[in-house]
Amino acid sequence: MIGYVLRRLLWALPTLVLVGVAVFVLVRLIPGDPVQVMLGDAASPEQVADMRAAYGLDRPIAVQFWLWAERIVDGDLGRALTNGQPVAALVWERFLTSAGIVLSAVALAVAIAVPAGTFAAWRQGSLADLAVVAGATLLLSIPSFWLGLMLLLVFGLQLAWLPVVGYVTLSEDLWAGLSFLVLPVITLTLTEAGVLTRMARSSAIEVMRLDYVTHARAKGLPEARVLARHVLPNAFGPTWTLVGLVLGNLLGGIAVLETVFTIPGLGRLLVDAIFNRDYPVIQGCLLLTAGIYVVVNLVVDLCYPLFDPRVSAQ
Amino acid sequence: MTFLRTALGAALLASTVGIGAAGAQPAADTLRVRLNADIRSTDPGVNRDANSDAVVMHMVEGLVAFREDTSVGPMLAESVTVAPDGLAYTFRLRDGVRFHNGAPLTAEDVAFAWKRYMDPATQWRCLPEFDGRGASKVTAVETPDARTIVFRLERPAALFLTSMARVDCGGSGIWHRASLNADGTWKEPVGTGPFRLAEWRRGQFVELAKTETYAARSEARTGHTGNKTPLVGKVRFVIVPDAAAAKAALLAGNLDVITDVSANDVKELSARNDVAIESASTMDLQAILFQTNDPLLKDARIRRAIALTLDVAEIVGTVSEGRSKPNRSPIPPPSSFHTAAHQTVPPANVEQARRLLAEAGYRGEAIKLVTTQRYPALFDIAVMAQAMAQRAGIKIDLEVIDWAAQLDRYTKGDYQSMVFTYSARLDPSLSFDMFTGPKATEPRKAWDNPEVQTLLRESFQTVDRTRRQAIYDDLVKRLMDEVPMVALYSSVDTSAVRRNVAGYAGWALGQPRLWGVSFRN
Repeated sequence: MIGYVLRRLLWALPTLVLVGVAVFVLVRLIPGDPVQVMLGDAASPEQVADMRAAYGLDRPIAVQFWLWAERIVDGDLGRALTNGQPVAALVWERFLTSAGIVLSAVALAVAIAVPAGTFAAWRQGSLADLAVVAGATLLLSIPSFWLGLMLLLVFGLQLAWLPVVGYVTLSEDLWAGLSFLVLPVITLTLTEAGVLTRMARSSAIEVMRLDYVTHARAKGLPEARVLARHVLPNAFGPTWTLVGLVLGNLLGGIAVLETVFTIPGLGRLLVDAIFNRDYPVIQGCLLLTAGIYVVVNLVVDLCYPLFDPRVSAQ
Repeated sequence: MTFLRTALGAALLASTVGIGAAGAQPAADTLRVRLNADIRSTDPGVNRDANSDAVVMHMVEGLVAFREDTSVGPMLAESVTVAPDGLAYTFRLRDGVRFHNGAPLTAEDVAFAWKRYMDPATQWRCLPEFDGRGASKVTAVETPDARTIVFRLERPAALFLTSMARVDCGGSGIWHRASLNADGTWKEPVGTGPFRLAEWRRGQFVELAKTETYAARSEARTGHTGNKTPLVGKVRFVIVPDAAAAKAALLAGNLDVITDVSANDVKELSARNDVAIESASTMDLQAILFQTNDPLLKDARIRRAIALTLDVAEIVGTVSEGRSKPNRSPIPPPSSFHTAAHQTVPPANVEQARRLLAEAGYRGEAIKLVTTQRYPALFDIAVMAQAMAQRAGIKIDLEVIDWAAQLDRYTKGDYQSMVFTYSARLDPSLSFDMFTGPKATEPRKAWDNPEVQTLLRESFQTVDRTRRQAIYDDLVKRLMDEVPMVALYSSVDTSAVRRNVAGYAGWALGQPRLWGVSFRN
């Protein structure tokens, strides 16, 4: 197992190097200049040139890349052009903020989707199944920013139960922190629950048609036991794979939600950095996102045998 | 279930450790004001943008500052004396002014701060305005006594004080040397302003606390000078990028002031009992620029024809929801130099445009008009201009790009035509200078006419107001004739303020000023 993990991690290195090169080059191909954005319309050409030199942006791209790569080897992602903060600390801090919301939401979405999907599969063709499928499709179709704004209007503005803007961590003030997290987590939970419910349902339907489920029923096992012992564990595999993809995707940034709910997360950092052409921050965010994909996929693969004994890590 | 337990545990852990970036709840006497993006730094005039300037100007003050009418008045200075030859400015400092750390303000402090500003390594935005490349050249700074400081200039400069007061220059704010780290790098502002820095949580908020020992001027509050006594305990600039969320937060009472209210929201907010609307004309400028080097648009007749197709009043009325006035002069209406010569807005004349196009031999060639959706007004202007030009048979293709890319194209002069927004210029010479100059060295300049540049240079140097006015009147006449750009309007800045807030007022710079603002009981 350890050898497998090490091999997978080693394979991730070339992926990250390729991502690094691609990100570095692509970011510089976007029209626009960080110094120009910083200085605005009133800057003279001399001022722009002076500042570009100060940030090393006047050097050949190859030299800039080499310096960046050298620093990365030392674990230094450079400093943000906009405010001089160390990129590594900045990106990690924002990632943790996003991760708190994403992991909570995905956990809740799984908690809703798996029972709902399995129940719908069990009652396939019934009114209950129709209701679950319709509900999942509706959730799948609603844009998260719209749902977020609607929740803000209802619970923040009309009912005034929850704050509309701001962010406090749980460590600083548990209840206040929770009050700021409730709406973004609910929004994300609902939008992700739709896709996971559909997957859980179709996987469960597939498993229920298999011989060993018929055999279990023929043995006279209670229906609840058939579902819990024989259907659910075997049907969870594909859903788990999807959970991995969803997690990788969401951890890479939930910029729209973070903007609506004023959460200082990774997605908003990336979007702001793109607007400002803050190259080191863009590169740091995208590298971290690539790393997250690699790690999440590895974790998903490693966990797979827990749900399906036929698959071993070997 | 193991997975769920693990995931929930991880989520809780992440939320708990996440999070040195947390934000505390504001205290009850905290005025909460929206910023649409985080500030860049607290270093005055260095690594800044409009939000950074707005925050910094609450913490530092310069020797002089802009008044409400954009004239320049003393701030830290008690008096300013200009030598008869215009080559020396003597500032007498006010008595009793103290920095946030309690140290008294002295001429030595002014000289110290000034020395850092003039060091190229500081990268002060306004260095060119004082080192001879721009408005003036400071040759010496002398401190004959603890309350007197003399700036000596190489040549007379009409804009010396204006440049000093500029907000994008950080108002040339004077700060104590404790603002610097031991290695000379910037730490945080220890200024003389009505508020001091309490906490900056990046991406979340900037909180300022009242300066208890603030030494206010005696005259009424005006612009960035006058009586700037702080009346609330704290000010928190909350970063809310999304306009809809900001509006909801204001209505829910989570914010007290939001600036940059869009024209669409003004009507709805005006109708509410719990919100007041504050509007003020600003000094920015929306305009359509033409590339006069372009093979097609180098013909002034075609540029004039395009201008003639534009119903400026209709464009401005539509994009600003009737809040801004059309203005074909680059000098904004709030300026005292915006006299009758600058108030003419010629009506659209499609027939005349067609005649000019025929004379110029225009055969329906497509003209690209660059715009952006970052500022909705710029996009709307482009769409309307396209439709209006079509009436005379002019084919305009829109090219919609993001703001950073547009700034880059603007700087390089890489466009045929472009809808652009210029930030506020508080002196008419600067208003003309923003688009006038030699394209060979400054490709961003739309108007390259040596005669015009000579006149403009004169306006920078003469202190005779009558002569300056005559120059501007002449320039605007030439501008209407040559049409290197079509000025459209200066925007109206609108803020929405909760009714329990007293004393908030907008002004020509369009940035919030939170001294003199209090809560009603």
